[in-house]
Amino acid sequence: MNDTVIEVKDLVAGYEGRVILKDISFAVRKGETFIVLGGSGCGKSTLLKHMIGLHPLLAGEVRILGHRIQGGGVAEREAAMRSFGVTYQSGALFGNMTLLENVCLPLESFTDLPSDARRLIAEMKLELVGLKPFANYFPTDVSGGMKKRAAIARAMALDPQVLLLDEPSAGLDPVTSAELDRLILRLRDTHGISFVIVTHELASIFAIGDRCIMLDAETRTIIAEGNPTELRDTSPLEKVRTFFNPAARQG
Amino acid sequence: MTLKLPEICTVDSVTPLWKQRMPEVGKLKAGEVLILDADSVKRYDGSAEALIIEVHRCAAAQGFSVEYRDAASVIAKTLKIFNPAVFSDHTAYDLPPRNTHTVVQVGEAAVRIWRDIVDVLAFLGEVVTSGLSFLVRPGRLRLRDTMLCIERAGMDALPIVALIGFLIGLILAFLSGSSMRQFGVEVYVADLISIGLFREMGALITAIILAGRTGSAFAAELGTMKVNEEIDALTTLSLPPVLFLALPRVLAAAFVLPFLSIFAVFMGLFGGFVVLWMMDIPAITYWQHVFNAITVNNVLIGLTKALTFGLLVGLSGCSHGLHAKRSADAVGQAATASVVGSLVLITIFDGIFSVLLFILDI
Repeated sequence: MNDTVIEVKDLVAGYEGRVILKDISFAVRKGETFIVLGGSGCGKSTLLKHMIGLHPLLAGEVRILGHRIQGGGVAEREAAMRSFGVTYQSGALFGNMTLLENVCLPLESFTDLPSDARRLIAEMKLELVGLKPFANYFPTDVSGGMKKRAAIARAMALDPQVLLLDEPSAGLDPVTSAELDRLILRLRDTHGISFVIVTHELASIFAIGDRCIMLDAETRTIIAEGNPTELRDTSPLEKVRTFFNPAARQG
Repeated sequence: MTLKLPEICTVDSVTPLWKQRMPEVGKLKAGEVLILDADSVKRYDGSAEALIIEVHRCAAAQGFSVEYRDAASVIAKTLKIFNPAVFSDHTAYDLPPRNTHTVVQVGEAAVRIWRDIVDVLAFLGEVVTSGLSFLVRPGRLRLRDTMLCIERAGMDALPIVALIGFLIGLILAFLSGSSMRQFGVEVYVADLISIGLFREMGALITAIILAGRTGSAFAAELGTMKVNEEIDALTTLSLPPVLFLALPRVLAAAFVLPFLSIFAVFMGLFGGFVVLWMMDIPAITYWQHVFNAITVNNVLIGLTKALTFGLLVGLSGCSHGLHAKRSADAVGQAATASVVGSLVLITIFDGIFSVLLFILDI
């Protein structure tokens, strides 16, 4: 159990008492790329938002590096919040700051490092995602793919052990999407970061996913768990096989 | 000199090294040797990697040499991922200055206000053109949107207009009443309030409320639509944003302000009545003086001003919203600029009215 970075147990998620997901249990291991997948409206982003504490859990427990994100004390929640980074679908960069300032922001807020050090660290994070030459650009001046990479750099500013990415490939062309996939794999291999990625992009799922869970809008829970390729080839559920083989469904 | 990295080489333990040891590293000269000892490091993060890069950056700049003790390959791994030469330029990313000299700021503000006025007048041209196309095809104006804007700008503003109007009347009456009482002519406070509110204060106060409440909302709403590419969508659907979005708002603002202004005037008169009643002036006397002081000219002047100010507030709000840049920050700036622009325009046009009325002796 020591290599578990995220543990979700019997989670029930929803808004204003309305249950969207139930009986959700899974674990993410250290250094793996874990995919949360499913069709539109099945609750992928809802699950992510509950996991990171943006919405109160209706029931169950989420632990990140052993710390409870909800249900524990303030100190435990803060420890949990410091241990992961998140990127959102749009990138969610602060428009009035340059990319460098965006990455510097968490370092300014949570460390006592001198400004030179903070700036160098931010530059190094931008270099990791290939954006150092654009450090002084504003988010409006860069492309969608660059925004996503800058968001990853900002999420990595405090060296979290887990990165959670919400639809990182959404709105990107296949080439940029593949570049982003390669970046994720490189960061996983060089820095040992575990990734939890919410996506329904099949190319990305097969390229980077070590393990995955598949959510279902009908049953509102996990209907499959395992390696994406194995699920595609051997899942007993037709719904799962069809998801991984859209061409077969059309044929 | 030896720089020893701790066993747990993360931000908490690296911060003291940055603060205490790096200044010493910065003083090393050519020919000297720095021993970078990472033998005992078991865990490290980005701050440790940055420290390693900074040491190499200093070595390259100052000419001293670096020897490694790197049993755990921490330095080797870092140098494999990051090339210190890439980070050698300290000045490349100097951030743009945020605060310039006060004189420059004043100058920039003056230019901005002038441009705002020109933009709003140019926008007026666009709205008039759209208005003409509306006359040709009346069905193109979104009547439902216009009614909604009228409700939001007019009906929803009644409570605040009532409060402010009442208080303005109250304050005017107190200020003038206390002075006039010394001469025993406090009953003429009613005339003063009546003329002042109908001719000037009613339209002015209501326009300021409309600028802060509705003009800024127009700018924020249209600015957000621009961020969300809704304006682009309208353009590609061949629906001119000015006709579709701005005209209903401008018409609504121009339509509601005269009514709000009259409402504010009556609330102000009521405020004045309360004060004079406290000064033992009979109600019948007060209202007699009020209605005697009202002339058709005063009412028409007030209504014309209100109509003009309403038009200006609508134009300023919509112009700033449609010309906003595509960021959250820009939406806020557009809302602020719309209020400032409205106030400047209201003041300028009020001055023009005063001069014209003086010349025409009305």
